[in-house]
Amino acid sequence: MAKKAKSRTIAVRLISMAMTGYYRTMIRPRVHRPLSMLKYDPVVKKKVLFLEATKGGKAK
Amino acid sequence: MASIPETVGKLPLRLRNFFARYPPQIYSALVAPTPSVPDGEASAEQNLPSPYTPDRDAKGARKPDPEAFSLSQALLHNDPNNQNPFLPRKIFTTGKWVSPRYGLRQQADLVKLAIKYNVEPLLPPGRKSTAFKEARLAERGLRIKGTGIGQKVKGHKWERTMEARLEDRRKAMVEMPEMIRLWKQRGHGRGWRQWPKR
Repeated sequence: MAKKAKSRTIAVRLISMAMTGYYRTMIRPRVHRPLSMLKYDPVVKKKVLFLEATKGGKAK
Repeated sequence: MASIPETVGKLPLRLRNFFARYPPQIYSALVAPTPSVPDGEASAEQNLPSPYTPDRDAKGARKPDPEAFSLSQALLHNDPNNQNPFLPRKIFTTGKWVSPRYGLRQQADLVKLAIKYNVEPLLPPGRKSTAFKEARLAERGLRIKGTGIGQKVKGHKWERTMEARLEDRRKAMVEMPEMIRLWKQRGHGRGWRQWPKR
């Protein structure tokens, strides 16, 4: 039987670069480049850079 | 000490009888020799168990040494010629122990009375005396691991790592403007190389 097709989108985790352990989960198309954005981190109470965490350490 | 003879008349009968039977000039904790820490064991801290066990196999391996110097035990002075009525006595010919003249309950009663009338040092040294209890507390801590002399409270992991984590966070926040500038320069993530690991 044919394998089940992979979904078009994936859920990714954007980690706060303030090293607070705070993160946000987002959904992006599988083929899209990794997400990164400025978002509010409630721990340091500031807008900081959030970068997508790579699963298994591989990034596009 | 000068005021003590005046107060003798005011003491309750029970204490007066006790002092009549065991005169303070022979039996009291005041005339007992003050214990001193032997030179070889100047640092009593080394004899105390550590709350940390660096080697897992060593866990529980360090039992307290029964021969080690203990201030509280040293306080329980017993003069063989004038047997302390608060302490048991061993008869070496038979190897048997003889109970103290006054049991622990009676000792406690006497100590409480003596404290009330401010004559506690005149009682013989015993397990119910304030000095003994203080010494034992210092040795054992509050029966909570790590509160004794030379011990540390282990605490939760988040408490132990708090300082390092806050330092990391502080460093990251110092570098944040530069990081954001670089990120904007590299096309808002298009040319970004160092993605964090999950």
